[in-house]
Amino acid sequence: MAVWVTRFRGIWLFYREVAPVLLFISAALLLVMQLPAMMQVPGLHEEKASGMSAGLLLAKLLSGLAVWYLVNELRPQRYWFYYNLGLSRAWLWGGVAALDGSLFIVAAQIIARLWA
Amino acid sequence: MGMKNEYVGSGLRVLEADGIRVAFDGRPILSDIYLRVQTGQVVGLLGRNGSGKSTLLQAVFGARAVPDASVRVDGRRVVPAFQTPGLVNYLPQAPLLPAGLTLRRAARLLGVDPLAASAGFPELPAQLDCHLGELSGGSARLWQVLLLLHANTAFSLFDEPFTGIMPVHVETLGAAFQQARQRKGLLLTDHRYAELLPLCDVVYLLQQGRLLRLGPNFRDELVEYGYLLA
Repeated sequence: MAVWVTRFRGIWLFYREVAPVLLFISAALLLVMQLPAMMQVPGLHEEKASGMSAGLLLAKLLSGLAVWYLVNELRPQRYWFYYNLGLSRAWLWGGVAALDGSLFIVAAQIIARLWA
Repeated sequence: MGMKNEYVGSGLRVLEADGIRVAFDGRPILSDIYLRVQTGQVVGLLGRNGSGKSTLLQAVFGARAVPDASVRVDGRRVVPAFQTPGLVNYLPQAPLLPAGLTLRRAARLLGVDPLAASAGFPELPAQLDCHLGELSGGSARLWQVLLLLHANTAFSLFDEPFTGIMPVHVETLGAAFQQARQRKGLLLTDHRYAELLPLCDVVYLLQQGRLLRLGPNFRDELVEYGYLLA
């Protein structure tokens, strides 16, 4: 049990390291994709926010892959501490994908409801 | 990811590695490897610059995937070794700790009592709430060595643990290694052979991709192989 707690703390710590970039990308994607709905003029050109569209999901996925690639290429030494906690790259990025993906989906749904 | 920490504590443990073959740009770096470390031992790994010492440690640790590599503990395959709780930790040459982590938090995550780990180094406890980047290179290195040395694993692998550490601390650290060997197996590689060799029970020399286990008169053999001057 203690081992799992340590590993979840490790994943959370790793997520906090990469979160600034990922959250910035998420915010930028949501802003750009939902901008038409947010900027609509009532009665003139009404468009609804789309929620989690396939395009938005694909853009988020591709940007996540780019961040993963850049961290692996530019900061490979970043993993050593986590290896010593028993965490492989797959566990770290799996955790990041789960946390960041959940936040992104929730944010997209909130925006869609606000501008529905 | 097995969760049972069965490797720490009782009994003799034997870590063995073989089948490790690594080549860079077609040039074989590691080709004929058999490495053995057991709890209660300090094992030294020497070799010229670029001979593949770090690569070998990383392959044993499991961070570097090597096809056909066999790493075993008590005859049981453990690849990658770092994912087995309580089995092995590894200090790389690069800084170990994330930039935003204080030493106190790092110690907690690694399951180490930082005050016990820094006993013998009176100036270290005052640095517990510092980040690694705020310390001198020597102090940062010393902290990293101590944290892994006192972590509850059966084996510890250290890549240049003495780098940047001042002589008086190297001597105290040597004593800490000797104390730690009572409960774990240590594999050390460092070019500061004068400090390293007195600690070692076994010495390996990595020479042209082959790992040679040296005999009891390892100084003479190191001269013979051209690692030391006569």
